[in-house]
Amino acid sequence: MRAPAWIIPALVVAFAAAGVGGAKLVVAPSLTRAYADAASGSATRTSVFVVQGVKCVDTAERAARQLEGVPGVLSLEAFASRARVEVTYDAGLVDAEAIRDAFEGPLHEPATGEYLFGLYTVIEMDGLKIEPEAE
Amino acid sequence: MTRSDRPQPRGIDRVKRLRLAFQLFIVGAAVFTGVRYAQGKSLVSVETYCPFGGLETAWSFFTRKQFSCAAGETNLALFIALLALTVLARKAFCGWVCPAGALFEWEARLARRLLRRRNFSGVWPVPPRVDRALKIGLRLVVLALVLVATWKTGELVFRGYDPYYIVFSAHGHDVRAWSYAVLGGLLLLGVFLPMAWCKYLCPLGAAIWPLSIAGRLRLARKEHHCTGCGACDRACPQDLSVSTVPEVRSGECTLCLECTAACPTPQALELTWSGVGSRRVRSRRVRP
Repeated sequence: MRAPAWIIPALVVAFAAAGVGGAKLVVAPSLTRAYADAASGSATRTSVFVVQGVKCVDTAERAARQLEGVPGVLSLEAFASRARVEVTYDAGLVDAEAIRDAFEGPLHEPATGEYLFGLYTVIEMDGLKIEPEAE
Repeated sequence: MTRSDRPQPRGIDRVKRLRLAFQLFIVGAAVFTGVRYAQGKSLVSVETYCPFGGLETAWSFFTRKQFSCAAGETNLALFIALLALTVLARKAFCGWVCPAGALFEWEARLARRLLRRRNFSGVWPVPPRVDRALKIGLRLVVLALVLVATWKTGELVFRGYDPYYIVFSAHGHDVRAWSYAVLGGLLLLGVFLPMAWCKYLCPLGAAIWPLSIAGRLRLARKEHHCTGCGACDRACPQDLSVSTVPEVRSGECTLCLECTAACPTPQALELTWSGVGSRRVRSRRVRP
């Protein structure tokens, strides 16, 4: 059966729309990390951070290391392709600001013993854009 | 004059121009995305829109429900959509969407003009058997190597060799000096062997090739209209032989419609849905 030539660009546009729109159907994290179990009766909360510097699984792992030892942080899920990190925490022990500070703090590199600064910058927290501080 | 014998409107030229507009838009968008990401003004890299990243991360997604390295849901969704597109429209992705494909095609056109060649066979025409072996064998080897390495390491190991990433990432992560040497080598090869990357090396092309063979949209040649001038063969950037077959079944056809636009007899080449109403067409053809 004869097909009109415009069917090709129409299918290409449909492909792009399905590819970009269908992304919501195949969501999965690049990294998950559990730090501690929630204490009974604690008020758990999940905050969403957009962290500049989280680009792949390796950088997400380093960012996850920043939260080790932060009291009240329970788990983390990182979505590297969108630089998005979801952190679940005990709201009675820690808040989103403290978690942001932990992300942006110096990173200890065990292999060299050095501290690396400025690897991560939180640019969005729970849907609110964070303006860079003037120097 | 029956309806089917009526000359095709030269709307085909408009579709050809539309394809160029698609290619220019996507190349422009890729450059814009890559530069913005490199400048730190955007968190979306050019990798986000590569369907091959979806194939690379598919194993990790389906076995561990996690994405590999920098790949994400957009890559996977685009790859799944690409499979559907290929079932319908063959390698239309390569001819209409892929920015690397566009660059290599433009290079092939420029080289053809500069070297005053009449077709896209290049300076070293590859014998059909070798051409077929390379298209199937070499590309599948590249695909297998890339996938095994990615699935074993969890890293997108192909980045440093991928012309799309090297060109559009604006010196992105994993792009080294040798990456530019690889790109330069591919461009040089493309001068003498047009579209060499797409035809013989692209792993995404290898991955969708089986589906492309079964693709439903095909170009059919009407022998009683065809003058055998060979204009279609000379116009095909993939260097396919269109003038000798009743239907272009090659898995390499990108439906760029260059052959149809070049044909001096508009009725001779027609875009058809293969398998739809074909019995009726066949029976009409054998009737005296």
